[in-house]
Amino acid sequence: MVIERPWKRWVYFYIPLTLFIIGTLFPFYWMLITAIRPDAELYRSWRAVNNTPFWTLHPTLEHFRDLFEKTTFPYWLWNTFFIAVVSTGISLFCGLLAGYALARLKFPMAGTLGTSIFVTYLVPPTLLFIPLADIIRNLQLGNTPWALILTYPTFLIPFCTWLLMGYFKTIPKELEECARIDGATRFGAMTRIIFPIAVPGILSAGIFAFTLSWNEFIYALVFLSSPERKTVPVGVVSEMIRGDIYFWGQLMAGALLGSIPVALVYSFFVEYYVTGLTGSVKG
Amino acid sequence: MTTRRITRRTFVKAAATAAAVTAAGRAPAFAQGTKLHILRWVDFIPACDVELKKQAADASKLLGAEVQFEFINANDLQSRITASVQSQSGPDIIHMLHNWPHLYENGLLDVSDLADWQGKDQGGFYPQSEAYAKVGGRFLALPHSIVPGLIAYRKSWFDEIGVKTFPKTYDDLRAVGTQLKKKGHPYGQTLGHTFGDAPAWAYPLMWNFGGQETDRSGKTAIDGKGSVEAVKFMTAFWKDACDEGGLAWDDTNNNRAFLGGEICATLNGASIYIAAKRGQEKIKDERGEPLVRDIQHARLPAGPAGSWSYHTAFAHGVMKYTKNPKLAKDFLKWFHGQEAFGRWFEVAEGFSVGATKRWERHPLWTTIDEPMKGFRTAPDNSRTMGYAGPPSAKATEVYSKYVIVDMFAKGAQAARPEDAVKWAAAELKKIYG
Repeated sequence: MVIERPWKRWVYFYIPLTLFIIGTLFPFYWMLITAIRPDAELYRSWRAVNNTPFWTLHPTLEHFRDLFEKTTFPYWLWNTFFIAVVSTGISLFCGLLAGYALARLKFPMAGTLGTSIFVTYLVPPTLLFIPLADIIRNLQLGNTPWALILTYPTFLIPFCTWLLMGYFKTIPKELEECARIDGATRFGAMTRIIFPIAVPGILSAGIFAFTLSWNEFIYALVFLSSPERKTVPVGVVSEMIRGDIYFWGQLMAGALLGSIPVALVYSFFVEYYVTGLTGSVKG
Repeated sequence: MTTRRITRRTFVKAAATAAAVTAAGRAPAFAQGTKLHILRWVDFIPACDVELKKQAADASKLLGAEVQFEFINANDLQSRITASVQSQSGPDIIHMLHNWPHLYENGLLDVSDLADWQGKDQGGFYPQSEAYAKVGGRFLALPHSIVPGLIAYRKSWFDEIGVKTFPKTYDDLRAVGTQLKKKGHPYGQTLGHTFGDAPAWAYPLMWNFGGQETDRSGKTAIDGKGSVEAVKFMTAFWKDACDEGGLAWDDTNNNRAFLGGEICATLNGASIYIAAKRGQEKIKDERGEPLVRDIQHARLPAGPAGSWSYHTAFAHGVMKYTKNPKLAKDFLKWFHGQEAFGRWFEVAEGFSVGATKRWERHPLWTTIDEPMKGFRTAPDNSRTMGYAGPPSAKATEVYSKYVIVDMFAKGAQAARPEDAVKWAAAELKKIYG
């Protein structure tokens, strides 16, 4: 072991780790404490003697109740889930095939094409939403979930392709070649040999794609108009911010509930996710 | 078997009867399935949006078309307008704030005929409503309402230092603010990049000391004595009287600071008072009494050149791409009419006032809470961004880049007032040329 003395362990490991954990989890704690804090405390002065900004002695579920009773939050949650799952599925499918082709098949300009695909991921949605609005209008998909299911892959497919292409390159070609010698077709080798080995990479691409779809704002704002068809990020901001009045309790309750599915997805697949990002198949 | 012969006469009779029955049952004006989509901001007063949903149902029956409101955050409206204009699809009618009709001139239909009717019907428009909606002599949006900004202040804290009425001049405000800050009750004012409260303070401060963004011909004219004097005042006022954290505030912070008992006064719409009133069981002062009882409103004080304010004007624009221009105009005529607007106006409880002067005489003002009565005639002293020139798209660029606000923020951060004004003049030169 490199760190021998206890103080070194504290200075180089435990203290930085503690600070990192506090820094990472504090926003979630703040979200939770604001969501269960009664309005009287939310409006209390920071200078007040009885102010307790970091905890509450009178927790309440009033903001959660308001969120469910006064808004169409359950619809927003379902819409977000449905759109995120379908667009992630489409993007993963396309990303798998494109990533495999770019990593394995030899054709002219394959490298340039791979870089170009990644560059398209870097085009900001704030520029793309205007031409995409035109396409959505022509297809008459405005104010339907399909408007987002069609547009989200425009940034998800390049990302999945790029991530999976990198992952496929780390898988030894010999594995596939052995299968081909044993009589497998290219498609068979791809689906039976390569894809099962690439599960960590596929899962990390999927988790990333799901998170990006779940949190997306500008396309959802532009393409959906009916209150019951909105997604969580747009619905919460539209209904809980009224000019210069922020309904902090409900906003934080909405943000907290909206982040739970993403947190669950991460917690279930965290090991695959780490392997997928750090790379590779150990030989 | 006998057969009845249908003569031409019986056919005409039957057709006429059917038409009469149809007409009695529902409005025949538009084809079945016709929809009208109106995009508006989410109102500060939730009950106003509830009222609009009821009005949508009424309008649907009356016009024989499906009328639907959509409400989104004010800050997101421009993204939607841009996408709609570019793709030539989207809401038929869109809520316009400030001078947006000047910005979206090419995407809006001429509604001068409706504006003529509304102006005559309701006592004439306030000047800023007309200036913002009228582009090149044509009304490109129909003025709807104005959200005035007044200074909300804590009566009891002003009383404690012997001040019974709100200061009438900026110098008096500075003197009173200095005393209150020493007692731990600073004045709350944002000078951050935030769409409402910062410009609503900064523009009038410049005007009231004699400064102006442009001259009447539209040439930049900010580099003058009036602007320098205004920045000098801001520098001193900030240090002596203000909560100095305000440089980083957005539109919400002063609401929270006021309701939390941290500041003695702040420039705002009526949202502070209304929030305190609706939450009076929860929002209390330091004595445990509902805070709403200790709130009063006052106009901005006067400077050497007058007492002007900036109030936000709202209008409705009919989009050029709409497939139902007649329906949209028919709807607006009904929606801006005395009956429908009156219902909405009453629900707004003085937070929003009319774009026309008729609404100053509405019975609401006799029954409304005393502190809200100042909002009745508040819009009568508003100037427009870009003053003394026209409220052009360039004036919006100045507003969007917070040039005037930043000029004062530089003063508050101890830059020489002359340098702050010179910087603003250089920025305006880049925009106006």
